Amino acid sequence: MDIQSCVEVRNEWDIVSARQLGRNMAKELGFGNVDQARITTAISELARNIYLYAGRGKICIEPIDQLGKKGLRIIALDNGPGIREIRKVMEDGYTTSGGLGAGLPGVKRLMDEFSIESTVDVGTEISATKWLR
Amino acid sequence: MNLQINQHQINETHELQLTGEVDAYTAPKLKAVMIPLTEKEGNVVVVDLSGIDYMDSTGLGIFVGALKSSKANNSSLKLRGMTVRVKRIFEITGLTEVMDIESEVKGEAL
Amino acid sequence: MTAKDALTERYQDLLSIYLKAKTETTLYKGQQFSRKLLEQQISPEDLVSLHIQVMDELFPNMSDEMRDSFDFLLEAMIGYGFAYREHQSLRDKQQQLESEIEVAASMQQTLLLSDVPQFDELDIGVVSVPAKKMNGDYYNFVKSGNSLSIAVADIIGKGIPAALCMSMIKYAMDSLPDEQMKPHLLLENLNRVVEQNVHSNMFITMFHGVYEPESHKFFYAGAGHEPGFIYNAKEDSFFDLIAKGLVLGVSRTTTYHPYEKEIQIGDMVILLSDGVTECRTSKGFIERDEIVSLIRKYMHLPAQQIVENVFQELDRLQEFELRDDFTLIILKRLV
Repeated sequence: MDIQSCVEVRNEWDIVSARQLGRNMAKELGFGNVDQARITTAISELARNIYLYAGRGKICIEPIDQLGKKGLRIIALDNGPGIREIRKVMEDGYTTSGGLGAGLPGVKRLMDEFSIESTVDVGTEISATKWLR
Repeated sequence: MNLQINQHQINETHELQLTGEVDAYTAPKLKAVMIPLTEKEGNVVVVDLSGIDYMDSTGLGIFVGALKSSKANNSSLKLRGMTVRVKRIFEITGLTEVMDIESEVKGEAL
Repeated sequence: MTAKDALTERYQDLLSIYLKAKTETTLYKGQQFSRKLLEQQISPEDLVSLHIQVMDELFPNMSDEMRDSFDFLLEAMIGYGFAYREHQSLRDKQQQLESEIEVAASMQQTLLLSDVPQFDELDIGVVSVPAKKMNGDYYNFVKSGNSLSIAVADIIGKGIPAALCMSMIKYAMDSLPDEQMKPHLLLENLNRVVEQNVHSNMFITMFHGVYEPESHKFFYAGAGHEPGFIYNAKEDSFFDLIAKGLVLGVSRTTTYHPYEKEIQIGDMVILLSDGVTECRTSKGFIERDEIVSLIRKYMHLPAQQIVENVFQELDRLQEFELRDDFTLIILKRLV
């Protein structure tokens, strides 16, 4: 099963579309309302980062099924300036978004798995997974 | 306690008028203002301490740092207007011997 | 039954009791329940979700608007959940740091422990108390040959940077050859080590002395350290123990002046850190002559009891809040 859906992020409205996409898929997969809210919040944060720092990029959502273990993966992609010090943005208290205040470490805590790859002047790819319990 | 820093500049002479206390809490503020001034060649940094009634060793450390920085960058650092209490700690630490303190270098133009 | 099921059940009980009879008792139980939720690290959005679940069971015919409003509330709580988890993680990190500092502090204590050597001719008393967990004051006694070598140092600043610097001084001193135990030469050597290794706005003040029991001479030198006192028993008066010199770490080429003094029976050498004279009370700073009168008050006692009594009085004057590390050492010539 590999049906990926993506939303282009260029403005604030696209953040809402990305959330909607994530919520629909989370609901379909059977996530409870708390996890739905967490997934959409993670999407919001990632999409907002794209909108604020890269200008444009995309959010992709895919259902995953690993040997019967089901879940949802968010992938945030952009060709923006990249992150010079990943370790620093992953530290608590280092706020960049001005959003909820916890930035990427917050997203990491909302989800079960989190990975980030970034190259300066090339772009950033973040992937975050939530497993269905 | 607080530290107030008033800054005046005439050409390359920068005068810092300090009021309050220089201690572990206020030292970073003084450092942020004073050190960059000493890093520019030719600058004359004059620090007026007449409004300082307490300075601890961390505060003194900032002046040691400024002295080293002015030597390394060919700028100069002058202190003036020390109260008795402040003068005493510069004397005990031997810094009066290596620093330009106005009461001892009378007549030198600013 | 999982922990979560148990919580759900308990919440349902409490809520239905409350809805039937709105008593303060139940509200009080609700408050206690919230403590339990925190203990189990239940985040705000989880609690809202718990509430929705329970309301669904208690009121299966709840209106759609009501039901939807709860979903909206849940969404609005996510931000608090975000902040809650960040707080949790920062608190864990803080606890970890604190326990690391705890370990470092006890290592430093071991390092700092300098056994007071025994001399028939001398009665020695020492008290050294840090203002925070780590001590920026340093003292060291070494018996070399028949002589007593004694060092007191104050590293500027407090806490961990000062403690790290102290360890450096300790090892630098330990590695100096015995013949360099002449105080002014020792300071010159240490000054070079310090100058090369410390941050530009750090420095160290130090007093070093050597007591020779054969001649009863005290040789000493100072690097910007708070002057101690000499008590002259014959004249029954205290004098400042002046040893001029620049603090360690300012200039590589600093030289230090050698001083010496003959010590008579009953005389005392008193060494201190500036935490002793920088004691602040509600009435202002404690002046040096007040320290002298405190010492005078207890000087009939053995040296260790003098320093302990003086410390206790100063501590009390400062309402038991040390602003700076505190070290006081007394050497008294007995015979």
